[in-house]
Amino acid sequence: MNAIEVEGLVKTFPGEVEAVAGIDLAVSGDEIFGFLGPNGAGKTTTIRILTTLLRSTRGKARVNGLDVEQRAAEVRQIVGVALQEAGMDALSTGREMLVLQARLHGMSGSEPQRRAAGLLEKVGLSDAGDRRVGTYSGGMKRRLDLAHALVHGPQVLFLDEPTTGLDPASRQSIWDEVRRLNRDEGIAVFLTTQYMEEADQLCDRLAIIDHGRIVAMGTPDELKASIGADVVTVAIRPEEAQAARTALEGLDGLIDLRMDGAGLTLFVNDGSETVADVIRLLDEATVGVGAVSVSRPTLDEVFLRATGSRLEGAGDTSAARGEAAS
Amino acid sequence: MSAATTTVAVRPQARPARDFVRGTWYIGRREIRLVLRTPAALLPGLFIPVFFFFVQAGSLTRVAQASGFVGNYKAFILPVSILFAVSNGGAGLNMVQDIESGYFDKLVLTPTNRLALLLGAMGADFARVLVQGLFTAFVAYLVGVHWSTGALGLIAMVALASLWGLAYSAMGFGIALKTGSAQATQSAFVLFFPFVFLTTSFAPKEALSGWLATAATYNPMTYLLSGMRTLGLEGWHLRPILGALLAIGLVASITITAALMALRGRVK
Repeated sequence: MNAIEVEGLVKTFPGEVEAVAGIDLAVSGDEIFGFLGPNGAGKTTTIRILTTLLRSTRGKARVNGLDVEQRAAEVRQIVGVALQEAGMDALSTGREMLVLQARLHGMSGSEPQRRAAGLLEKVGLSDAGDRRVGTYSGGMKRRLDLAHALVHGPQVLFLDEPTTGLDPASRQSIWDEVRRLNRDEGIAVFLTTQYMEEADQLCDRLAIIDHGRIVAMGTPDELKASIGADVVTVAIRPEEAQAARTALEGLDGLIDLRMDGAGLTLFVNDGSETVADVIRLLDEATVGVGAVSVSRPTLDEVFLRATGSRLEGAGDTSAARGEAAS
Repeated sequence: MSAATTTVAVRPQARPARDFVRGTWYIGRREIRLVLRTPAALLPGLFIPVFFFFVQAGSLTRVAQASGFVGNYKAFILPVSILFAVSNGGAGLNMVQDIESGYFDKLVLTPTNRLALLLGAMGADFARVLVQGLFTAFVAYLVGVHWSTGALGLIAMVALASLWGLAYSAMGFGIALKTGSAQATQSAFVLFFPFVFLTTSFAPKEALSGWLATAATYNPMTYLLSGMRTLGLEGWHLRPILGALLAIGLVASITITAALMALRGRVK
């Protein structure tokens, strides 16, 4: 049985804003599945529907075979959720939060305390467990949030941008734990991310979502291979973009050509053979050529090819570093 | 992060009533913990009613006695002070914070009964206003307010006021759940003024005239004050006490229904 099954899922908000525009996907019980897309693509809306926090407008969604709307109470017992906003109670301690969550999940006696202690140790917060959450750093809050999601031993874990705003060490720590949960405890993981690196390294399979629609899906390697090409990037001045496009239209081995703020991205059969022709054609068209590089496709290029634009901050961890002090 | 853990088996909800009571209790306990950890937030609820009592009693006792309407003006004005103590303008603000921070989603994601999320918070709020009302009554007792039904009557009066406080707080919780906005939730306090000023707060009904007398007739607070004052000035008279309970019930039926509808809208 699949951990998650989604058929024709649509969510329209008032004002005819279509956040999710017809999604179909299936996630098996043993995989880490990623949802990659920019802000506003529909990632969080999809997670909120799958975790019973939001009703869909149309379509079906099931978690471990349970319809998320018809059998919401049962779904809540088998899913663990860490949402994008780490949803913390600043006046309580980490331990108090976990104990309350355990009790609301029906645990009694000393079990909630034991469970909280075990989870605090697991996420490396044993020493901070009795401090008020308001004093935690961003990374500590994320780890506590993950512990929260695990209190009741879920079968399916939903993580909404679990590492956004974290420093590299904290991000690595979350990745390690997610892998361990999937590998050792058999928990299926559905996560959303804006980071190409995270999608590439962590996910067994991923879907690229843009404007509420899945535009590509597969393993990271499959997605990269689907381009079937090398990638040649050429830095040019924006005002010469049209001239460059015209000059390169007849290039041998050209599969696709995309323009963005960084310049030209050419998907070609053989980069090393083509790059000289690219420079020559641009030179003949008197287009000024800056840096030129040839590479194997990355998810960034997969995203560019699928959506026509690059994912802002994709795979770029500097933004995360900047926010890490919060 | 390290160390393997055991997966906890999901519990079937075989005893929904027990789980509902447990959920309400644990949510209420958490709310009380939050209150105790922000003691400064308690001060207005303790200080303002006492201040009001002293100012009103100090400035109007002689006027009231000279008019012949009220013999024991301190006992007459005390219920209004207690109503100030229990009509909690901050009801629902913690819930707004939980909604804004996303913590409310965490609570919603547990299998606990949704009603427990509201009733637990309201129960804690009831405990808070009960303490504030008792404090005001205790201060009045210390300064020598005479009470015809004794300590038991005083407690009964505070209990009546606290039930009103519960009904009133439901309005704040309803707005909190509906809007998720702190500003809108705090605005519920504005509705307290017509309740408390268009009635017999400062003078008995016989002393009111014109539109104010008409407004007081339709204001449930008039009947609440009548019941509370009966306990202080006359004795254990059942009719005004039942009238007070009826008035509270009327307001509660509206505010609690609205809060439940708002809860349903938020967690659907």
